Amino acid sequence: MRHLLAAASIIAFATAANSAAPPTLTQAQHDAAHAMFDHVIDTPTVIGRHRTPSMAEYVAEQFRSAGFPAADVHVIPYHTESATTGADETAALIVRWRAAGTPKVKPILLMGHMDVVEAKREDSTTDPFTMTERDGYYYGRGTIDMKDGIVAITQSMINLRAAGFKPKRDIVVLFTGDEETNGIGARKGATEWLDMLGHPEFGLNADGGGGGYNPDKTPAGFTMQTAEKTFAGYTLTVRNRGGHSSKPRKDNAIYSLAHALDKIEAYRFEPMQNETTRAYFEGRQKQEHGALGDAMRKWLANPKDGEAADFIEASESEVGLTRTRCVPTRLFGGHADNALPQLATAMINCRIFPGVDPNAIKAELEKVVADPEVVVTRNDDYVASISSPLRPDVTAAYTHAVQTLHPGMPVFPEMSTGASDARPFRVAGIPVYGVNGAWVIVPVDFRAHGKDERIPVQALYDNVVHWELMLRDLAGK
Amino acid sequence: MKRVFAFALAAALSTTAMAATDPRTVPTQLPKDWQVKTREVFKQAIEIPSVHNRGQTQKVAELLASQFRAAGIPDADIHMMPYEALPGDNTTALIVRWRSPHATKKPMLVLGHMDVVEANRADWTFDPFVFREENGYFLGRGTSDMKNGDVATTMAAVKLMSQGFKPSRDIIFFYSGDEETRGVGATLGSTKWRTLTDAEFGLNADGGGASYDRNFRPLGFGISMAEKTFQTYFFTTHNPGGHSSRPRPENAIYDLADALKALQAHRFTPMQNDITRGYFEERSRQEGNSPLGQQIRAWLANPNDGAAADAIEANPLEVGLTRTRCVATMLKGGHADNALPQMAQATVNCRIFPGVQPKDVQAELQALAGPKVEVIPDPNYIGVPTPASPPRADVVNAVKAAAMRFHGKDMHVFPVMSTGASDGSFFRAQGIPVYDVDGSWGISPDDERAHGLDERIPVRAMYDDVLHWEMIFKALAG
Repeated sequence: MRHLLAAASIIAFATAANSAAPPTLTQAQHDAAHAMFDHVIDTPTVIGRHRTPSMAEYVAEQFRSAGFPAADVHVIPYHTESATTGADETAALIVRWRAAGTPKVKPILLMGHMDVVEAKREDSTTDPFTMTERDGYYYGRGTIDMKDGIVAITQSMINLRAAGFKPKRDIVVLFTGDEETNGIGARKGATEWLDMLGHPEFGLNADGGGGGYNPDKTPAGFTMQTAEKTFAGYTLTVRNRGGHSSKPRKDNAIYSLAHALDKIEAYRFEPMQNETTRAYFEGRQKQEHGALGDAMRKWLANPKDGEAADFIEASESEVGLTRTRCVPTRLFGGHADNALPQLATAMINCRIFPGVDPNAIKAELEKVVADPEVVVTRNDDYVASISSPLRPDVTAAYTHAVQTLHPGMPVFPEMSTGASDARPFRVAGIPVYGVNGAWVIVPVDFRAHGKDERIPVQALYDNVVHWELMLRDLAGK
Repeated sequence: MKRVFAFALAAALSTTAMAATDPRTVPTQLPKDWQVKTREVFKQAIEIPSVHNRGQTQKVAELLASQFRAAGIPDADIHMMPYEALPGDNTTALIVRWRSPHATKKPMLVLGHMDVVEANRADWTFDPFVFREENGYFLGRGTSDMKNGDVATTMAAVKLMSQGFKPSRDIIFFYSGDEETRGVGATLGSTKWRTLTDAEFGLNADGGGASYDRNFRPLGFGISMAEKTFQTYFFTTHNPGGHSSRPRPENAIYDLADALKALQAHRFTPMQNDITRGYFEERSRQEGNSPLGQQIRAWLANPNDGAAADAIEANPLEVGLTRTRCVATMLKGGHADNALPQMAQATVNCRIFPGVQPKDVQAELQALAGPKVEVIPDPNYIGVPTPASPPRADVVNAVKAAAMRFHGKDMHVFPVMSTGASDGSFFRAQGIPVYDVDGSWGISPDDERAHGLDERIPVRAMYDDVLHWEMIFKALAG
């Protein structure tokens, strides 16, 4: 119920938005943010390409040149590796902006990740590792996930420092180098680097939150991420004795795998609700007057109404919010074009509803596939994620920043369907809130991890201002 | 791309009480000293991993060349022919001419290939590139496809030379280095290098052979005289992709999976030609009144009897002999574990009935795969349909004599259409008839492991094959 009340207060904020003109960037600040964004997008911080340490060093240099003491700017190299992602020497960046004297409260942690998902030149319209400005957008891998947030946090701190802002509590930055693959940086952050981070009271993650406008320019809403689904990978493996391809047989590893994938395509996990998603749908149903709103109202009234949940899940704006979802992301199979395959595998990526054990999902996948030839294994040992309680100060600061830049914009609590570095901190008792300020046109700009990733040009600069506003509210009072 | 020739005995025969002898336990007739020499060369050949892109095939060529050289073939008649197969795969063909001092006939060509299909150590029960002898078998990648044939043809020639045999025609040995991938060697061998290879006909060691069933009864010795056209196609699906936390109904992998299910269910139209009719006539005699025998007779009587053809095709021993067949062999897709796939691709390998154009098969595949799937032929290898080779009495009689010696009168010899493509197709396409007449044998289907796991050949089959080729050379060049 606490979440529900909090959500109501957020909606109240939405109606009480002030109309003061938002602050703007100076031309020099604008140019600096542009140059930084250009540089980091052009740095292909994909696992195996060894470029994340150089990006960390570059961002560290931005802080140092802006006057942050070198003793408080640390590039920390570390190794990341797993069987499915490959290995790399990567790096994290930790910057501590110290408050004067002895602060009364523990630091705020600002979080982001510098690495990006692979993007192939031949799958993209323009070179994904050359930032391209076109039609009011910046294109390139990482423009929305999430080098926009790296640049916004960095530039906002530089701007605040230049403006003479003195934080009343330490502001600590942790940018990791393997969020998209193994999350080792975040795990270290929540354990062995915790002293260096000053045992923060809570975290603000730029890899979550954000908002959007509908194609007709009406505000779709901003979300504050307080919970996230558990990321877990599984592998379907089919083995076969193989043979010569001139003599096909009924048993074929690739066909068995195709049938298993077909069953996964058709399967729907049990719909579920929690406090965050109930608060989210309470807010969303007020916006939706048509069939989608009716389905939300029905499902809120009766959580056992699977039909209503299915209808909501099928809506492009609500994908993944009503249940666990699993989807195949990669395929491998065979060893020669003229040989029957001895091995065929599919990677299944699952986003598991908070609180559900990933081992239970493995058992469920086995039941769905229902073929002893298809072996289901886990790719990782991630545990179920937990939600963070809503904090009035964070909610207020986020809502204030959003509505200063976007008057009338509704704000919702959100369960993120994507996993992020927040999980190990939440598990360690440090609540984390996804509060980035970038915005997109929904749903056409949902291109994180996909083809021709992009961000509206103005959203990059708005995000810098957004972080300045939030830091003034949360560390200036 | 050899397969061990396989077909079943009639059900009536299989109940015969007479116990047959395990052919693997019959002592080989190859003299002990030649067993030792053959085994040593075979071991060395198997332990060279002459897989594409590994740059090892030349070592096999040098191994074979050194046998010919030691037996007295002058260097001027031993030609190392380096060439590029798949882009970046530098390989070698070996051409050796054993000259006749008084040639009365046009040369005869002996074909083989030195490359092997990839074998993953993790998939096998033992290291595929360490030669093993166990329980009456030689094991390792290439033991049946087809370093056995390379070694048998080479050692038969070496043995004959040691006995002072002078061929009545030049015998040209042509061993290619990329039969399993692109066939560039055979393409060059049949065209650009034709002055070195021109011959009246060719004998291919990458096909033919006898087989026995599990009760050790002879199943037959097939001489391939025609072969299906090899063509690989790619089924590709594209999608904008996106974040895997937000699955969408359209998904490149699901689209591909649907096409693969359609492919699995698809059956091409049954077809016959003179070679396959000859084959099935022999099979119908063997099968007698078994269900398969009745199905074969029904189909021979009425080539439009699709149900009979389907029943024949469904028999594991007749796969691929009644029509074009296509099968999915490789898969790839996606670019990150946490991203929706932007591309998914299946490799579909087809064996096309002689006379059917690959572009017509492409159109049929495109129709079954649907508009979400792009179907294109592998640009690295465009199959060319080849004519069947006319039956030659001298070749058939030579093979019959050898089969009689090693397997007895119950081992029938007759024409077959090969379902696998081989280097022979390139020479057939350029006007040199080719007959697949290797003399190795195996137990069907247990020893049919070419391209698969734990490939093997009976020890006696390897040794007898040296004698088999010796007989063939004497009969056709004596």
